[in-house]
Amino acid sequence: MSRDPLADTGAPRGYDLQVRDLKHRAVQLGEWAFTMVHDGWRAYDTGDFTAAQTVLDRDATLDRFDEDMEHATTAFLVLRQPAAIDLRTAVALLKITTHLDRIGRLGFDMARTTSSPPVPELSDIRNLLQRMDDAVEPMVRQALDALAHDQVDTARELFARDDAVDRMHREVSQLIVATLEKQPKQARRLASDLLVARHFERIADNACKVSEKTIYALTGQRRSEYLPRHATAPYALESPWGSPTKRK
Amino acid sequence: MELSTETPKMEVQNLTAYYGESAAIQNINLTFPERRATAIIGPSGCGKSTLIRCLNRLHETAPKARVEGSVFLDGEDLYGIDATAVRRRVGMVFQKPNPFATMSIYNNVSAPLRFNGRPSREEMDAAVLRSLQQSALWDEVKDRVDAAATSLSGGQQQRLCIARALAANPEVLLMDEPCSALDPIATAKIEELIAQLKNNYTVVIVTHNMQQAARVADYTAFLYLGKLVEFGPTEQLFERPQEKLTESYITGRFG
Repeated sequence: MSRDPLADTGAPRGYDLQVRDLKHRAVQLGEWAFTMVHDGWRAYDTGDFTAAQTVLDRDATLDRFDEDMEHATTAFLVLRQPAAIDLRTAVALLKITTHLDRIGRLGFDMARTTSSPPVPELSDIRNLLQRMDDAVEPMVRQALDALAHDQVDTARELFARDDAVDRMHREVSQLIVATLEKQPKQARRLASDLLVARHFERIADNACKVSEKTIYALTGQRRSEYLPRHATAPYALESPWGSPTKRK
Repeated sequence: MELSTETPKMEVQNLTAYYGESAAIQNINLTFPERRATAIIGPSGCGKSTLIRCLNRLHETAPKARVEGSVFLDGEDLYGIDATAVRRRVGMVFQKPNPFATMSIYNNVSAPLRFNGRPSREEMDAAVLRSLQQSALWDEVKDRVDAAATSLSGGQQQRLCIARALAANPEVLLMDEPCSALDPIATAKIEELIAQLKNNYTVVIVTHNMQQAARVADYTAFLYLGKLVEFGPTEQLFERPQEKLTESYITGRFG
């Protein structure tokens, strides 16, 4: 009896190896971006200029990773003309690369904000920022794990954690504004803290985007098909509307 | 592109086609929407050409071939009317350009009119002009319509065959791998032509080339071992196929 030519033998094809290589490159880029966030926050938190400079120096490599990834993915699209899951993976990786690059750039921006050692009087704010870091770094790690190991459920778990980071961001932002009124002499540090809080919030958003694209690559589902548009708090700290508004 | 909003032009119902005792396609149900291009894809021997040949009753001309089921054109069962009349309404272009070798360009295009009656010279001139224009060949041959059809390049000959099919004023145009013998430039011209033709005709194209299906077709049907595995908007089929078998085929995951 003749063998079904479409039966999956499980043997990797050159094609599969290429897809695997692309994913591997994306994860490498992600790891690099992750270290920039990790070390960028520590440099800022401790006021360590040497550590900050180390992060700033990594930016060129981040750019190179990003460019290499773009070339490799474009070549794959042109030469292989993929379809179905291979097409979705290539398209998703182009987007994922952008989000991972942004995560690295936000780590870079944190390092660049490094200006002075921590101020003891502002320890409440510092502790809240540390809590944000404790929440955000594992999110980046989890997004990379989901991408590397094709884990849809791991990717999906991230969205609920993003809501928690948004709440922390609002909490720390309100505390910073309140402190600014009481301690105007700390304005410079408080302004930097506000920026860093915003960076953490954006890093979490980008980690979620990486997960979104991972889910798309693996299942073909787009975010709107599995997550309803959620209520979003107004950006202004004191909103004229008073309560969260629905994003249209 | 949504199938439920389309007007059906041709409907295939429970169609099984045999060569002797062997069924080349089995129980196919498929709707071809009006003024859309539909591609039929699948590996060699899956029944693509058999299916398309059933749409204009060409299949039954093969020895020991027979068909069960129905093919409707605008609601009329094609297997209940005269086969020649069916082929006037459902034109066909084959894999290899097959102009009448002993005839001129003009006579090739006007041949269907002459086979079907005694048209006046004016009627033939008008039909030849329209058909050559619709097949995007007019500008290239307008100064030499009396030249031998065989003096044209392969790509031009294929467009001449398309012009000849259009001269009979069909409602549906079937194309069985129309570009497989052509170079990339001639292929691009035919693909561009298909995009134009679907403004006036319902086009059904069999192709081995999945990128070609993706480029020219609004809808795509995937056949495997004589059965219809999946049918839907081309974009959906190539981006998010619903069937594992379709995904295996279009991603080239052969054993």
